[in-house]
Amino acid sequence: MAAALEELKRLVSPGALLTSSSELAVYSYDGALERARPDAVLVARSADEVRRAVAWCAANKVAFVARGAGTNLSGGCIPLRGGLVIALAKLNCILSLDAAARVACVEPGVVNLDLQKEAEKVGLFYAPDPASFRVSTIGGNAAENAGGPRCLKYGVTTNHVLAVEAVMPDGTLARFSQEDGGPELLSLLIGAEGTLAVLTKLWVKLTPIPEETRTVLAGFASIDAAVACVAKIIAAGVLPRCLEAMDRPTVESVEAVRSLGYPKDPAVLLIEIDGDKAACAREAEAVESLCREAGASSVRAAADPAERERLWEGRRGAYAALARLAPNVLVEDGVVPRDKLPDIVRRIQEIAAKHGVKAHLLFHAGDGNIHPNIPYDERDAEETARVKAAGHEMLEACVELGGSLSGEHGIGVDKRDAMAWLFTPETLRLFHRVKDAIDPGHLANPDKLFPIPGSKPGRGFVRPPAAALSDYASFLVDKVRTAPAGASFRVRGASTRWKAETPGGAVELLSTGLGRVVDLDKRNYTLTVESGVSVHALHAELEQNGVFARLPKCGGTLGGLLAARPWPGLREDILGMRLLLSNGEVVELGGKVVKNVAGYDLSRLVLGSWGTFGVILEVTMKLYAFPIEVPSSVPDAKPPTFSPWASRVRKAFDPDGRFNPWLNYP
Amino acid sequence: MSETLGRLLTDLGERSTYDAVSQCSRCGYCEQACPTYVATGDESKSPRGRNQILRLMLEGKLDDPKAAEEALSTCLLCGACTTACYAKVPVADLALEGRRMLRGKTHWLVRIVSRMIIVCPWLLAFLLKIGFLFKKTGLSKLGRPLLRAVGMPVLASMDEHTDEAPLRNLDDLTRKRKKTETPAYRYFASCGPRYLYPRVGTATMFALDELKGTGAYLKNSCCGLLAHNYGELDDARRLAKKNIEHAEKSGSEPLIGDCSSCVAFLKTYPQLFLKPEDVQWRERAEVFSKRVKDVIEIYGECADKLPAGISAGVETTYHDSCRALNGQGLKDQPRRAAKAAAGKSYCEMPGADACCGGAGAFGFVHEELSEELLKKKVGNAASVQAGVILTSSTSCLIQLARGLRKYYPDARVLHLSEFVAGALKKTHGA
Repeated sequence: MAAALEELKRLVSPGALLTSSSELAVYSYDGALERARPDAVLVARSADEVRRAVAWCAANKVAFVARGAGTNLSGGCIPLRGGLVIALAKLNCILSLDAAARVACVEPGVVNLDLQKEAEKVGLFYAPDPASFRVSTIGGNAAENAGGPRCLKYGVTTNHVLAVEAVMPDGTLARFSQEDGGPELLSLLIGAEGTLAVLTKLWVKLTPIPEETRTVLAGFASIDAAVACVAKIIAAGVLPRCLEAMDRPTVESVEAVRSLGYPKDPAVLLIEIDGDKAACAREAEAVESLCREAGASSVRAAADPAERERLWEGRRGAYAALARLAPNVLVEDGVVPRDKLPDIVRRIQEIAAKHGVKAHLLFHAGDGNIHPNIPYDERDAEETARVKAAGHEMLEACVELGGSLSGEHGIGVDKRDAMAWLFTPETLRLFHRVKDAIDPGHLANPDKLFPIPGSKPGRGFVRPPAAALSDYASFLVDKVRTAPAGASFRVRGASTRWKAETPGGAVELLSTGLGRVVDLDKRNYTLTVESGVSVHALHAELEQNGVFARLPKCGGTLGGLLAARPWPGLREDILGMRLLLSNGEVVELGGKVVKNVAGYDLSRLVLGSWGTFGVILEVTMKLYAFPIEVPSSVPDAKPPTFSPWASRVRKAFDPDGRFNPWLNYP
Repeated sequence: MSETLGRLLTDLGERSTYDAVSQCSRCGYCEQACPTYVATGDESKSPRGRNQILRLMLEGKLDDPKAAEEALSTCLLCGACTTACYAKVPVADLALEGRRMLRGKTHWLVRIVSRMIIVCPWLLAFLLKIGFLFKKTGLSKLGRPLLRAVGMPVLASMDEHTDEAPLRNLDDLTRKRKKTETPAYRYFASCGPRYLYPRVGTATMFALDELKGTGAYLKNSCCGLLAHNYGELDDARRLAKKNIEHAEKSGSEPLIGDCSSCVAFLKTYPQLFLKPEDVQWRERAEVFSKRVKDVIEIYGECADKLPAGISAGVETTYHDSCRALNGQGLKDQPRRAAKAAAGKSYCEMPGADACCGGAGAFGFVHEELSEELLKKKVGNAASVQAGVILTSSTSCLIQLARGLRKYYPDARVLHLSEFVAGALKKTHGA
């Protein structure tokens, strides 16, 4: 190692490589508890330096971990196998900001707040606003697919990254964009926690600052009442920019530090509306009366920006107040379908009582993302063990209720074993194959995200079983399983876009028989539907039910539309997918929750794969209570030539190339 | 190892050094507040990194003191991290504790100066005058290579950085002050205004006399900050006791100082006396500290008595002394005064709250890092076309004067006292 490090030292700027023991010690941690020391740290001065360093890692088989601000809460930037930490904090240039196109191009070390400040100068803002936004970096936010209070209305990081430049584990430079044809590799890298590449440049979307913002604070007699109120607000067609909730212990901790006049109710909702003046006023009024109807014991609307600030101080000051109660605070991060919030709150309270810990609840109530905060002292090993056990049980409860392990903090090392609760062995194997396809040497942030050999899966898979496959879906599965060895398959929908004849000898997998609406959930505003439905028919059915989806109004099947991806907007609201692979396995990707960063975002990756990754059996997506703007036609799409990286990832899904092998691969 | 405090008065109450540093949960929310982290991108030069290094030292898990020294010595002690920290972890105090643990022997120069300050301050004043004479004649410039050659680069650097060389110090200038039986305040003479910037001390007393009524010149000792930060705690304690005893002889009128670093330290005297045997001194220190006021607090309180618009046509801005802002929480008070006196020509500069890199001896010891912070500061001042920069610490005055001379000679730096005194004089038609 020492000799190799000497070589690396010569490859990078003088002083950029740190090797003293105290320098290494401070790169052994992030915001969580896990620790491991790297062998060296590169404080990179340029993207090319990153590329040289990764190429050196590849040549010397040295593990590497990219690091932004190191505020990660799941141990994502801990160098578990030593090796090289690539610190990106000095790559902090905003390279361009195009106000007209509303796009900024930034280096990965740009701090979220610094981008906000620059964007603000031209009337724009960058929507993702994780609690750490004052210090965390855009690169880190992208690696974690960070959310934040505002993401209820504006979406999480993946909805705001248009393209990235990345150094791949073999040391080559690649660029991935929403505009690329073929599978959505960009989505694969966002939220991959640095296990697939090091992002060295990002093009992100900026949003116009709304004309007006209104804030309302309401107190409720129970969590149930507060959650019922949230459901009413969403159903009324109001999409607040934030819908935050706090329980009484949390409010009490805040008020102990500073009196802000928060109601002393068991549950408090902080609701923020934005938009143009008229709409904002109308919606704020609607929200106030909905709160009263839902039995709010107090409703307070901020009259001016100063009061708005004061109301927010309580929410923002919550973690601050908890951080003063003890040296450490476990900020757990689970997510459940919104209507399950009262259940999860009860479960969390039971679990906390069982382990003798105190959980303070803060949640993004609009999207079912809950943060139990448990103060403790890491120097007390016994207490720490109890807190960790309680945290994990709370996550398990989230999964049991149909939720997910993480809404925004990521899996890292802390929750990797828990992935076996959420995903079937088939799905986990697929994740591993995707990792192997891009990083066969396991050098990029190794041993993260997924169970490793020797992991203890606890109770194993605890997620509620998905609805049984329809008869037709089972028929397709059988068709794949019983096909003669070496047979090729033609995966097709209504053949709207790819009309070529199926070559002789190939097995047809026609999706048009998949016409079932599996679950139209009007409480959570999610839809699970089989992929063979016609897009027009689906629109009609949704409209009848008073709900709307972000789908273009075009011909053909839903599956065909997703597989061809003729409109980039398709990716925005995809939450999950059931996919039939060429080995006959059915994998369940994503889930029914609107915020989910557990594992690779394979449901989005599959978009644009033209059937070569698998047969989309079902898709789950977000719905709206009001009509949204969608195109009334889409451009004609032709199967593109797959990039070399797309071809490699395809092998993870279909190693023998049996699905649609006639498409163009390099 | 020098003696350490062992216990600290933190925002969460009295804590052992170990408990205080363990309160850092490694959330990292301090990182962007830290000028040295922002400049280097190196975690070991961040507050979180420094806390963890000290923690490892206390746990006996750090085997490489040399690198730890680099991490701790590059701390500016500006305290911006503590302001950003939810639990208000006192990183500056912790970094000092770490330095004390690592320090074999106090630097001989610090030792001699500390001794002189305690035993024979007149000798220091005398030597300084000789030094200033050298400077006036230009001899010191010639002497710089010699100082560097004989292992005193810090002195050479000090000489290079400072432009002032007053031959009459504040003691001399106040000798003829009229005495008063019932002074409205007592002026605590910090070493900066006393020896290097007597014009500041003169301005402060003039302004205070106008605003509060005639006060008295307190013939105090050095506050002990030099010994506290670079030398022996016992020396700091000795000076603190001297000052406490001296102040007790007067009534209960406020003790007002005009070097924010010094004043912030006076306010923390009780922390020097946390040992069980010092319990009485702790009580006396608490009484003393409660009397201490930074002059910029007074200006804030009296802002509406200040005449407006004295700097018409010259953009005037304010640079936060770290020890005023982070050490004492004085953000609005000085601005209220500066705005009142400057009227429309007051403008806020970006990054006003960031350390200028002066930071006591930092500017002389870590010249490169200090220079980077200074350039940023001057750039920010230039970005609002400031003609006058107001501030409140000796370190900032030295550092900003040097930076402006070098990079932006159109502007000059003034102590807020000089600005306020100027405004008051103008109304007198003087």
